[in-house]
Amino acid sequence: MMNRREFLGCGASGVGAVALAQLLGSAGLLGQEAKADLNGGVHHRARAKRVIHLFMNGGASPMDTFDYKPELEKRHGQKFDPGAGVRVEAATSTPGAVLKSPYAWKQYGQCGRWVSSVFPHVAERVDDLAFVHSMQSKTNVHGPGVYLQNTGFVLPGFPCMGSWVSYALGRLSDNLPAFVVIPDSRGLPYNSKGSFGSGFLPAVHQATLLRPTAPEPLADLFPPKSPGITPEGEADGLALLNRLNREHLASRPEDSRLEGRIASYEMAARMQLSAPDALDLSKESEETRKLYGLDAKPTADFGTNCLTARRLLEGGVRFVQLWSGTAGATGNWDNHADISKELTFIAMAVDKPIAGLLTDLKRRGLLEDTLIVWTTEFGRMPFSQGTVGRDHNGGVFTSWLAGAGVKPGIAYGESDEWAWKAAKDPVMGYDLNATILHLLGIDHEKLTVRHNGADRRLTDVHGHVIRDLLA
Amino acid sequence: MTRAWLLVLLLAAPRPQAPVDFDRDIRPILKASCLKCHGAEGKPKGQLRLDLRAAAFRGGAGGQAIIPGKSADSPLYKLLVDPDDDARMPQKAPRLSTAQIELIRRWIDEGVRWPEDDHGGEQLHWSLRPLARPAVPPSSWGRTPIDAFIAAKLKEKGFEPSPEADRRSLLRRVTYDLIGLPPTPEETDAFLSDPAPDAYEKVVDRLLASPRHGERWARHWLDAVHYADTHGHDQDRPRPNAWPYRDYVVRAFNEDKPYAQFVQDQLAGDVLRPGDPQALVATGFIAAGPWDESSQMHIMADTVDKKIAQNLDRDDMLTATMSTFVGATVQCARCHNHKFDPIPQAEYYALQACFAGVDRANRPFDDDPALNRRRQELLRRRTDLAVRKKARPEPFLDADAERDVAAWEKGRSDSPGVWMVIDADAAESKHGATLTRQVDGSIVSSGLAPDVDVYTITARPSLRRITALRLEALTVEDHPYKGPGREDNGNFHLSEFRLLRSRAEGPPSPVELCNPAADFNQNGWGVAQALDGKPETAWAIYPEVGKSHYAIFELRVPIEVAEGESLVFVLEQLQGRHRLIARPRLSATSMPPPFRIEPLPANVAQIAAVDAAKRSREQKIELAAWVLDLRIRKELDALPAPRQVYAAASDFPPIAKFTPARTPRPIYLLKRGDVTKPGEEIRPGGLSCVPGLEAAFRLADPGDEGARRAALAAWITDPRNVLSWRSIVNRVWHHHFGRGIADSPNDLGRMGAAPTHPELLDWLAVEFRDGGGSLKKLHRLIVTSAVYQQSSAGRADFAKTDASNLLLWRMNRLRLDAEQVRDSILQLSGKIDLTLGGPAVKQFHYEDPNPEVTPKVDYGRYNVDHPDNFRRAIYRWIFRTLPDPFMETLDCPDASLLTGARNVSVTPLQAMAVLNDRFVVRQSEHLAARLAGPDRVAAAYRLILQRAPTAAESAAVGDYMEKRGAANAVRVLLNSNEFMFLD
Repeated sequence: MMNRREFLGCGASGVGAVALAQLLGSAGLLGQEAKADLNGGVHHRARAKRVIHLFMNGGASPMDTFDYKPELEKRHGQKFDPGAGVRVEAATSTPGAVLKSPYAWKQYGQCGRWVSSVFPHVAERVDDLAFVHSMQSKTNVHGPGVYLQNTGFVLPGFPCMGSWVSYALGRLSDNLPAFVVIPDSRGLPYNSKGSFGSGFLPAVHQATLLRPTAPEPLADLFPPKSPGITPEGEADGLALLNRLNREHLASRPEDSRLEGRIASYEMAARMQLSAPDALDLSKESEETRKLYGLDAKPTADFGTNCLTARRLLEGGVRFVQLWSGTAGATGNWDNHADISKELTFIAMAVDKPIAGLLTDLKRRGLLEDTLIVWTTEFGRMPFSQGTVGRDHNGGVFTSWLAGAGVKPGIAYGESDEWAWKAAKDPVMGYDLNATILHLLGIDHEKLTVRHNGADRRLTDVHGHVIRDLLA
Repeated sequence: MTRAWLLVLLLAAPRPQAPVDFDRDIRPILKASCLKCHGAEGKPKGQLRLDLRAAAFRGGAGGQAIIPGKSADSPLYKLLVDPDDDARMPQKAPRLSTAQIELIRRWIDEGVRWPEDDHGGEQLHWSLRPLARPAVPPSSWGRTPIDAFIAAKLKEKGFEPSPEADRRSLLRRVTYDLIGLPPTPEETDAFLSDPAPDAYEKVVDRLLASPRHGERWARHWLDAVHYADTHGHDQDRPRPNAWPYRDYVVRAFNEDKPYAQFVQDQLAGDVLRPGDPQALVATGFIAAGPWDESSQMHIMADTVDKKIAQNLDRDDMLTATMSTFVGATVQCARCHNHKFDPIPQAEYYALQACFAGVDRANRPFDDDPALNRRRQELLRRRTDLAVRKKARPEPFLDADAERDVAAWEKGRSDSPGVWMVIDADAAESKHGATLTRQVDGSIVSSGLAPDVDVYTITARPSLRRITALRLEALTVEDHPYKGPGREDNGNFHLSEFRLLRSRAEGPPSPVELCNPAADFNQNGWGVAQALDGKPETAWAIYPEVGKSHYAIFELRVPIEVAEGESLVFVLEQLQGRHRLIARPRLSATSMPPPFRIEPLPANVAQIAAVDAAKRSREQKIELAAWVLDLRIRKELDALPAPRQVYAAASDFPPIAKFTPARTPRPIYLLKRGDVTKPGEEIRPGGLSCVPGLEAAFRLADPGDEGARRAALAAWITDPRNVLSWRSIVNRVWHHHFGRGIADSPNDLGRMGAAPTHPELLDWLAVEFRDGGGSLKKLHRLIVTSAVYQQSSAGRADFAKTDASNLLLWRMNRLRLDAEQVRDSILQLSGKIDLTLGGPAVKQFHYEDPNPEVTPKVDYGRYNVDHPDNFRRAIYRWIFRTLPDPFMETLDCPDASLLTGARNVSVTPLQAMAVLNDRFVVRQSEHLAARLAGPDRVAAAYRLILQRAPTAAESAAVGDYMEKRGAANAVRVLLNSNEFMFLD
């Protein structure tokens, strides 16, 4: 692949429209024209145009949500012994006794998938979902785990998937950015913004951080309130700036970056119009607002984020990442102390909003070319920490996909009888991410950028597309 | 017949033979028959490589393959003649001919002649070639030898240099370049009107002498070494003592410290120049990168996750070192041999071994060299004591040691017998915890862990007179960290501790407590807060969880307890999140105060409780070591308080599960980089691919941690290390021109960019090295060259074949970087604070309510008129995972990355930031207020763009200023391309 910096050149001159578009991130690897026959893909025909990536920060417990383990009920309270003298260790504690799930389990849908009582609404949508019950991580520590699942590396500094997708495919619209991140309304996840950094990719592929429930949802979208600043004054100022910049450009016509900066102000002005519109949920019907749980306190925040995400997709955003859970000991999926207390609330906060999002996208036809991914950094232990909590477990966890190009109603891979380790068809984050890129028409092995001596990829040197998940 | 015999004899007799020639005889055999499996491609079979001299000599998994002089003992030969088809080599190529086998045998028996500078027969990669000063090409253009090299290439390709830039552009360019700020109107006037032929050179000298120069160029260096003021990773805690290293770099550049010394200081200044406190500070380099606090401090010892964390921590150290100083991507050889450069995996681990004895931690130092020497000596003795305790414990058992221990025990105020445990009659929890009395007098809190609680403990002590109380918080078995608190992480918060006397009649009466002391106080949560009457403050012990703690409280007036009288102890624990003491125990004493608290580690306390005669050998050693250590600590405590720098440290007080190495940890070659698959142990060393330098370090004492780093520093700064000298001049060139001669400053290997002007690079490297490594001389040489002073105007004809200006037929037009934008706006507004050095300034709203998680950082809520906001950007508090969004949009890099070259982006978010950010808006107001004189448009142009406006500009901007105000007008100018780019 061509080195983009080389391609554009430091003092790039006369490199034309494609380069200018790439400079501004509106075109991806091959420029916009080249992708039409691949349905927007780069290396092969794309099945998905957009992605909503739902990340449950803290390590969502599989055996208390989607991965039913009757064995834990049978052996509840016994010493955990996987047999064969295997060493059992836990990251932050001494392993306790086998701990059953405190929740009731039921089968749902045509596919008869088991779901615990923490996800009553998502349970109704299982026929749309493709589960992966054999996800594994390389680590039992949040920081590296969250990095691995998002960037393919346990170390900080690598670009996350949203940035890679922006880099590969460019923007769908000139009014909104390609990649938006909506953190939990209470705060940022582990690794803070590092979890969705753009690493060494050009800044145009940085995540745009959006906080729909905050007083200023998008930083610097407008100037601060000040007596001297008026909308008319700003418009005049942009016109003056444009004039000065054009005169400056006239004697330096070969430098596309100068033209790029002029265009960037035009795009900023368009974002000033489009972004408030995408954020304005008053345009949604009462029924829709209820569908996402905006009418109830526990679900209102995440519901607002999910509904905003749908509006962003409609406005042309390509990749929206939604986070549930903040860093720290509470308010996330890191349920060390008491599963029934902690998990119940965090799961309730997302259950109805996510189910509403699935329903809404489907009825609007958006699920045809939108991919939804639900994931986390690792699972939790089948034995107790303290008395009723669970410690980190990179051995196995569950993710699911839905929408564009995904085979609905299936489950891929299996955990062992405890949900302690993956037992059949283990899947690493690399494989999940390779599959997501595949659905977007990107070959994960060909999407590379050279940095400090290596051709870096989202999937490091690993990753296999999970064909069984594809429709 | 005789003749025939003679002939036979002649043939059979050993005759003088020409020795085997490696290049002619052996290399072709290896290449054709061996390298497919034992070469650079893929994973070498049996870990044996035969393409590289050093690797071949080292051997493979089966040990040495070639034993010079002994073909019969050399597996390489034996396997060629092995009768077993399955064993005989080669396996993947046709059998060797008898003649070929014979050549190999002779080659080995003749002593294995293999040229030292051999590199697989291929041409040596450019960066590894010997460094010699190339002849300067003849040239009629330019002022410096640099120009001659550039001109020669231009001429060869049919190009010609551009004319000199106009003086205003030149002044803007060189001022931003050397000090990161715009020229003032006065400086502009002075230069434009200076007729002297050396007017420009005078400007350059003025700029290089300015303290602003070090600030500017330190920023480039801090990018390369990924410096920040927080740890990064999931908790991203502050690193408040990182900045002395930053100041060291600023000072080193301002003082023009010779480059070799600059490098040596950063890797091993503490051992190489122990007399200079700043040399110790310089090792902040090793600690500059991210640190995984969760894995290092909170993950259980001996788990795989812990080993991974230590492995990756060293990985960061060596990656930063090799990237920064030699431009080698050694980190690519962590899991396998480097795929592109001649770096075997073993050499990656040899470099890890150089850092095997250090972690990242605060190190005390003193500005006064004599005091510093004294302190470091005492600290060294402490380390030595800890090491000897394990390695050579005999002296800890001799009579002297016994006497010392006895003396110490006599002087203790909390020796056994002094404190009487109080057995409770009743213990009640206010919010539903189960409190159970134990035989040892402690009370276990179990079952429900309420958010907050108050324990009320009633007892009739056997002691009549009470002068003081001791409250212990003991560890428990069923908590993840063993407590001693019930919070998830093992902490507790004792909000208030109260004592009441309960007599038969009348209400209980409070007893006043005073002079609290504890064996450990969490930062900001000292034990005095348990007596201050404020429920919102408390005594806590994080991160010293997992061990027992205690506090002592004196009674203001000693009490005499009457028969039948009860004492009531109230433990208020009101901070929430189950921060409850898991197993309290109360004791009392009649000893007269004052009480001296000597925090005893749990194991020492245990030993101290055993009768001296009954202590085991191990216990005696442990206790004696502790007592001797205490003596050194007292000497240390008597010294004035030191300063601290976050740096490489082999010894430091353990924090939670993060413990010092003191001596090098063993380093193994990890198969596929997997910590669960250690291979052979690896000794410290450098890279064998650097010609003429010994890769293995010969160390007198491999257990000497500092000697390893010193050896690495010597290897890097050796005049023969061709990578080091090429790397630094290329780095400097990159920052002057926006592109290195080789356009990948962190990678001079095969995956990096080839140099556009290799001879120039070599000439600069030799000139720099042999001229004493003066960076200021190098800057001066470069910026006074004609190449640098060219106009940046484009030319359509040249752009057709060299649009990227690789040949440098013009100067590159550079965009201001984030720091240049921020600093120059402050200078233009008149608000800039040019204080040199000091602690990092938090240019954001900051709250740190909980030392266990990331502080709350809000850039949007920061008071933009706070004086800290006016400091130069080099002094910003750099938050690794919460970077300043304004700076980020202007390509300020992720501080987790080693950044040799920043991206230069154009984005709508950047446009929005420069247009709308509160910083720019507010500074525009300040700037507007400065505009004096009748023509405010002209004044704004003079300040911001260093020129007069044209008539049309004057009219347009004047009109806008009239209608929308001067602040908005200058904001437009600050957003203009003319301001943001340097012609």
